[in-house]
Amino acid sequence: MNSLQVQPVARKITGIRWLPPRAGNAYTDTDLYFVSGSSAKHKELVLWTTANPDFQQTNDDNDNVDAETSSPLATLVAKVKHDGDVHDIAAPASDIVATASSFGTISIYNIGHTDSGDNSLSLREAVTAHKFANGEPAVATSLSVQPTNSADAEIASCGEDGRIAYAPISRLDALQRHEVDSTVITGVCWPMPAQLAIATRAGQVKLFDRRAPAEVQAVFVDPSNTYEFECIAAHPSQSFRLATGTDTGAVLLWDIRNPKKPTMEAFNVHESNVWSVGFHSSDAAKIVSCSEDASLAVTQWVSDSDRQSRGVRHLSGFFNTLSVNCFDVCPFTRTSIIIAGSDSGNLLMEKTAASDFAIY
Amino acid sequence: MARLGTDKFVVEREKEVATRLSPGVFPAGRQSEWSAQNRTLTHSVHPLTNSVALGVAGKQPRELLKTDVRVYEQDQRVYVCGLGTMPDERLPFVNDTHAVFAAIQSIMDARGDHVGVDALLRMSALYREAMLRQVRVLQDARDSEFVRSENDVFQAMHAVWHLLEIVYVTTNAGLSASVVPYYMEWLNFNFPAPAAADGERILGSSPDANALAQNPDVWPYVQKLALRGHVTTVANMLERIAPAQALSAAASRWARELAQTARDMPLGSSDETSGSFNGRWRRWNSGLQSMATNMGSMLDKAEDAALSALLCVVDVMRGDADTISRVGETWQDVLGAVLLYSEPTAQTERLPALAQLVLEQFEADDFTLVDRTLAALVRHELPEFLVYCNQIDAWLSAHVSDLMEHIGILDSCRQVFKVEPREHYLVALGERYLTHEGLWRVAMDYFGLCRTRVSQSIMGEYIVRMPLESDRKAQQVLRVCERYKLTEASERVHRQLGRQKWQRGRLGAAIAHFVRVNDSSAVGQICDQLWAEYLASGLLTYGPIIDSVLASSGHDRVRFLTQYRDFHECYRAGEFARAGKLLLSILVGEIAPIHAVPDLLVDSIPLLEGDALVFGADDTLELMRCAESVVFVGGEEGGVERDELSIFSVACARNLARSYVMQ
Repeated sequence: MNSLQVQPVARKITGIRWLPPRAGNAYTDTDLYFVSGSSAKHKELVLWTTANPDFQQTNDDNDNVDAETSSPLATLVAKVKHDGDVHDIAAPASDIVATASSFGTISIYNIGHTDSGDNSLSLREAVTAHKFANGEPAVATSLSVQPTNSADAEIASCGEDGRIAYAPISRLDALQRHEVDSTVITGVCWPMPAQLAIATRAGQVKLFDRRAPAEVQAVFVDPSNTYEFECIAAHPSQSFRLATGTDTGAVLLWDIRNPKKPTMEAFNVHESNVWSVGFHSSDAAKIVSCSEDASLAVTQWVSDSDRQSRGVRHLSGFFNTLSVNCFDVCPFTRTSIIIAGSDSGNLLMEKTAASDFAIY
Repeated sequence: MARLGTDKFVVEREKEVATRLSPGVFPAGRQSEWSAQNRTLTHSVHPLTNSVALGVAGKQPRELLKTDVRVYEQDQRVYVCGLGTMPDERLPFVNDTHAVFAAIQSIMDARGDHVGVDALLRMSALYREAMLRQVRVLQDARDSEFVRSENDVFQAMHAVWHLLEIVYVTTNAGLSASVVPYYMEWLNFNFPAPAAADGERILGSSPDANALAQNPDVWPYVQKLALRGHVTTVANMLERIAPAQALSAAASRWARELAQTARDMPLGSSDETSGSFNGRWRRWNSGLQSMATNMGSMLDKAEDAALSALLCVVDVMRGDADTISRVGETWQDVLGAVLLYSEPTAQTERLPALAQLVLEQFEADDFTLVDRTLAALVRHELPEFLVYCNQIDAWLSAHVSDLMEHIGILDSCRQVFKVEPREHYLVALGERYLTHEGLWRVAMDYFGLCRTRVSQSIMGEYIVRMPLESDRKAQQVLRVCERYKLTEASERVHRQLGRQKWQRGRLGAAIAHFVRVNDSSAVGQICDQLWAEYLASGLLTYGPIIDSVLASSGHDRVRFLTQYRDFHECYRAGEFARAGKLLLSILVGEIAPIHAVPDLLVDSIPLLEGDALVFGADDTLELMRCAESVVFVGGEEGGVERDELSIFSVACARNLARSYVMQ
């Protein structure tokens, strides 16, 4: 078990997301920003900053640092109250953050950076996307941003009312909702800009065409097991590969090229509910997942050319005993940084130096 | 101090907490008027947290009053007060110590009966580190009364825990280890004296040896240093004072000799046998004795302030009890000096007797709570010790009793307390944690790792009252039930989730939950609701709902709905033969509710009248038998009058005839 660096923040963190660098796609920011959302007693969105490890001198003793003797992992820059528990966060641009809340609303927050170094978070607009038939608000369980470069990218959310809702980020009032399932929908993602995939608690993965969301394009189920899915993620480039996490600790990798006969491989990497799953941003041969069993797992699901064989690496911290709720891998740095938030009120971080590039 | 009887700590009063309601319910001082106008306060206690909701209520219902009472704005307020809540500042401490607590339980599980002292020592050190971290954080925080009192609490907890560790864990290694060096380390860390600031002040204000020797504070300072065993500093100070002109030649000489002797104080090492150490120490001590005699005789001849002060230091260092008692300010000081200078190889068993002697010299009434706790610990009076720990803080008593249980010394307390102490304190701490929303999981762990029947049942009651705000929270609650094997609680949670989803119109999910707990009547009711919706709308939309329910549920109604849906699909697709078979199997299997059978029979009419022969002779007879059985039931609810079946009977007869012809 590798160990995670732990910073106690006295908040139950349930959503976390890296912000894109301000200077467009350049990798020259010396400071990285991320946003965390918390639930239970204090419902807030917090903007944090941490030093970019690509620009640091090599510190050999960076692993296993004692939390009290080293400087904090991240410093708080700004925070704002959030209406309801934060269930998911998406960061479409470096100055916009979208959240899914326990009242079923999608909210957009603006991040203000001034030249003098002041940063602020403020609510721009919010729309109620999920409600039950009897009028009670339904928890919006997950958010996903359409992977397109157009300015009018859409954001999709799914909720406990069995509906998916999507709207362009710039025009939230044009929200459309469709009921697509009779149980709780726990995860949503966009394998392609025109396709949505959801994972439900009844163990089904459903595909929809964005242009006709009321009809299900395809449904995938593993008939030999009664899984309940907790999350879903799409491969960044291969749109036929999906990963789902289950309530018993397995991460399933689907290949849906043949919709009538999907293939699925199960990796039993956790002991309890897998709350979030994702393909590693710089190395899609790895799947990262976080779970109720207080650990993160990095699974190498395909052996690649340079001696990395299939296997799994677990990350945990001694002082973090409660569920790891959410994580995000920074896609903008060469050093791979994973940050995660847990129920123990901790921010967790792991940095691995990038392997050297082979020179031809 | 007289040995106190058991009645002292058997009854423990909870600290009373009072909160003022603000803004108030009635104007100040007008309580009797307010009360005379048919008003009183009513309250309700939250099932989980320690909060109370308060509101104004009438002693009698308003309708019964002869004259109406005007309703004011204050009457319509509801106050929610939290009592004894867990402050946010403690969260990192709570989470860190929870991790250590869980680790200890699993270590003890793995090792069984072999008490791993090393492991316990490591865990105990982790606890202390957590306390010290909290003290550091508090020191960085803005000053306020809360911060100051928290600071006191944590420093007290650290002092108590550290001594507990020394007395029961560190010196429990089996080897005959002396408790003295650990005691001195504990004393100087937790109750540091004399203050370094004093020393700097004295040295700073006295630039040379003469001024130093004449400084009135210097001799008490050196005496205190000697009391605490800081012999090197004593030697340094004496060497600084010695060359002073103000001192007599004799005083100067003795100061230098004393400095040398102080530096020669024997310190034990781990590879030295106790015999050789004792020898060295006795030689050193006798050196001091002779020094004292010589100095004493010199003093008899002539007055010398400096010399008598030096004699005092010598007396302390040779272990003279009277001098030690005079110089020492607290009993911890005196005990330390007695141990260090008269019994340097004393083991833990000597502590109670020595402590008793020391404590008798002090007034018990002047003791602070910390003093009392430490005194009880040093005298090995464990039940008293536990009660005092609880008064310092609930965290302390819970973890101390847990540690004592693992070391094996809690049994002496069991004879004294009426309840099991470890369970009592752990459950109390868990309940305290429940008052904070974010700590419910930590509280459940404390209940669960307590591992007694009582804590298990308490846990079962609390877990079913957890608010299930989201699907994820519900999953976490169910995981807790699984982990601690609370099967009954798990069922209740499933039922609660089922009802919640039923109310919200998520019928498929509701069925899934009720199927899990085998509540067939609830499943039946939901299926009836689906059927009624179908009849009302005429559209068979419940298909996807049923699909998502586990296929293996095996519940009659669910199977009925599934097969009926399949029948409809076959009919729409034109596969009449298959549709007919399905319909027949529904009727023959008797899985349909009585009130639905007539509708099924009506559904069969198009098949009977259709062009192709769907039902053979036997099948038709089966249909007619089903119809008859429904008619017989008529008179009861759901039955059918014979004439309503006329069309059906005609169709059956025609089909029967046709089947005989075709076969």
